[in-house]
Amino acid sequence: MTTIIRSAPSRARPSSTPVARTILWIRKRWKLEWILAAVSLSSLALLWEFAAPLGIPGVENLPPPSAVIRESAKLLHSELYWTAWGLSLRRIAYGFLAAQLVGVPLGLGLAMNRVALDTIFPVVEILRPIPPVAWIPVAIIFWPTRELSVVFIVFLGAFWIVLINTIGGAATIDPNYRRAAESLGSNRRDLFWRIILPATIPSIVIGMAVGMGLAWEMLVAAEMVAGNTGLGYLLWQGFEVNAISQCIVCMMSIGIAGLLSSQLVRLLGRFAAPWQRP
Amino acid sequence: MIQPIAPARGSLDAALPSGVPWWMRARRVLRSRRLYLAILGVGTFFLRWYMLVDVLRFWRFRELPGFVASIREWVSPNPVYGISLFTSDYYLHIWSSLYRVYSAFALATLLGITIGILMGWRRVFYGLTFPILELFRPIPVLAWIPLAIILLPGRELPIIGLTFLAAFFVTILNTLLGVRSIDPVYFRAARSLGFSELGILVHVILPGALPYIFVGLQIAMGACWFSLVASEIASGQAGLGYEVWQAYYYVQFETMVIIMATLGFLGYVSSALVRLVAHRLMRWRSSVIASV
Amino acid sequence: MTAVSASPKGGALSIRNVAKIYDPDGAGVVALDDISFDVGAGEFCVIVGPSGCGKTTLLNAVAGFDTVTSGEILLDGALLSSPARRPAPGADRIVVFQNGSLFPWKTVLWNVICGPVQQGRMTRANAIRHARDLLGRVGLAGIEDQYPGELSGGMKRRVEIVRALINEPRILLLDEPFRALDALTKSVVQEYLLELYDLVPKTVFFITHDVEEAVFLADKVIVMTTRPGRVLKIIDVDIARPRSVHVLTSDRFLQIENDVRTAIHGEAQKAFEAGEREFA
Repeated sequence: MTTIIRSAPSRARPSSTPVARTILWIRKRWKLEWILAAVSLSSLALLWEFAAPLGIPGVENLPPPSAVIRESAKLLHSELYWTAWGLSLRRIAYGFLAAQLVGVPLGLGLAMNRVALDTIFPVVEILRPIPPVAWIPVAIIFWPTRELSVVFIVFLGAFWIVLINTIGGAATIDPNYRRAAESLGSNRRDLFWRIILPATIPSIVIGMAVGMGLAWEMLVAAEMVAGNTGLGYLLWQGFEVNAISQCIVCMMSIGIAGLLSSQLVRLLGRFAAPWQRP
Repeated sequence: MIQPIAPARGSLDAALPSGVPWWMRARRVLRSRRLYLAILGVGTFFLRWYMLVDVLRFWRFRELPGFVASIREWVSPNPVYGISLFTSDYYLHIWSSLYRVYSAFALATLLGITIGILMGWRRVFYGLTFPILELFRPIPVLAWIPLAIILLPGRELPIIGLTFLAAFFVTILNTLLGVRSIDPVYFRAARSLGFSELGILVHVILPGALPYIFVGLQIAMGACWFSLVASEIASGQAGLGYEVWQAYYYVQFETMVIIMATLGFLGYVSSALVRLVAHRLMRWRSSVIASV
Repeated sequence: MTAVSASPKGGALSIRNVAKIYDPDGAGVVALDDISFDVGAGEFCVIVGPSGCGKTTLLNAVAGFDTVTSGEILLDGALLSSPARRPAPGADRIVVFQNGSLFPWKTVLWNVICGPVQQGRMTRANAIRHARDLLGRVGLAGIEDQYPGELSGGMKRRVEIVRALINEPRILLLDEPFRALDALTKSVVQEYLLELYDLVPKTVFFITHDVEEAVFLADKVIVMTTRPGRVLKIIDVDIARPRSVHVLTSDRFLQIENDVRTAIHGEAQKAFEAGEREFA
């Protein structure tokens, strides 16, 4: 069957001047996503602001965003608030670092030694499901100071996940890497430091990132229950004196703190394992 | 702050090919070295507890509840502090907690998977919901306790609400990840074969995301127990979390240990149940999903 | 040379001055440059070329996964694809993908019958009957209830071909389907493909980089240059059908194969030096 051969004109290329290219760049980036984000976030804010007058049930005691903003201005100027930040951050740092210092070597050791793994891992599996919050009373009884108990709970939160991820990462290294190293003549120590450890770093980093999130969760719990300073305590205290705006500000502060620390961990991870795509 | 993690290598319930009869599997386990090492490990742990607390009374360990005392309390028909295998209070607390956890988990699974799949399926939906999600996700679940108590009426709802929240975020995230992880070639094949949009949803997206969804569900189950205990401590009247705190408060340390052990056991069983369901639903996978 | 019924919906393909440029306003990568050729209804056409020559791009344009920047593609005289029009992917131009796309979470049987059943073209019972018949023809009777994960590579490829053919497409598009198979399995599966083709000749659009495979299977071999892809040579394979493995050592076969190899070798070297990779 014969057809009329018509070739469509090739698309005219736009001029490649810088101005034209910038305009094109903007038009490409002005994506649907940003508009949608703006829509949903602003509707949420509006809903919150006008929830009480609109008669939505249950929000009578919830302060609107305007009140929260006012309260936050007040809090940001109080020394109590910033001290609380410092204290909470310090506890996170201690607990998290302890979890890494114990968890990573233990994880690597268990992954290297099958007998140790089969002996110790069942104990881990028994203890791990117990929520760290349930450990709070034991921690209070056992450790001489409150501070230590809080740090211990933070440690527990991060520890399990770090351990699991480290073991998992080391155990799932492609055996070909090992074989390649051995056929190139490396001894056991070399094998560990040059093959196993670097290959496990990505998993360790994931464990750290998730562990950081869990650390903050535990901190809030521990400070609310057993602390007398810190952001978590401020949160609970706000509730007890019915200063809900303070609660909300503390919630957001903790959220921001958690976000920043997670990002820090990820940054460290990228630094430690530059060959890995983030 | 809940983030999805990739499945890590698993525990005692290692991958065994399907189709091997149970008695053969049992025999294999009994013959293996692993079982005895496990017994050794667990036994050593309890032995150390006993030695440090009951016998040596070393440093702060003397303050801790004794191993023997706790066991004795647990199995006595007439316990000193009112909680043992034979008291009805024990089961009352267990039931309260179980009820809360499982209702919250069911709700979170239903809503979370639905929203996660919608987010993965439709860009507009994703664009609307993702910013809100990212806004709320960094806030620790437990920081919501005061707000939950204020906003939700009664005593049960705040607890269930918090437990729900913990599982909710994790489930959404992992479902989304699951949908995204589906190799695009399957979508192309489905389109080439003339599937309708609904057909793609039911036959490609849902089954394809299922592995990640179940990893998320395991994490969610753990998160549920965690926030349950915390919220029970904060505002409960019955339940294992509440009882742990009461036991501490009234210096009934043996009871405390019993409750902790119970919590651990129930948590483990719950996760194992999720894994079991996963195994059933995903028989096409030649390897069992590793536990988290 | 295959003679096929001159049905109006026979699957005759016309590629007319097709060009494909990726990122036209930016980097401007020219994948295809002025490609033109015809494939008759029921003809087995093989495109052979080095990595990066745009073979998959062309297949995607026909299948409907991608657009053309200029030129036209016509199917049975009707416009299929042009810069203004991207066809929706469909069962009339069904694709067998390179790395396998059997749904791993469904049984073999479901995989095979899903096309006609989802389109509503056959009842389930009818489709199952067809499926069993076709599976039997490729030597896979009895595996319907297994999952793809339990099958070997050669078996999976055969199931995919059956899954494609049960839809009675106008064109069967195959994107280097046997690339991942070892040489022995490959020749077995090729024979099965030819058997099915001889049974009900369909227009086939087959992509490969394996010269021997190309000449063995094709009625017409189209040699492409490396990027930007152009048609270098069109070679007709006039070996009679049905073809068996004995054909591989016949004089005529070796002659044609030599033809193709000479044409393509220079392009292969150029591609190698340019560091071309398959972006499959």
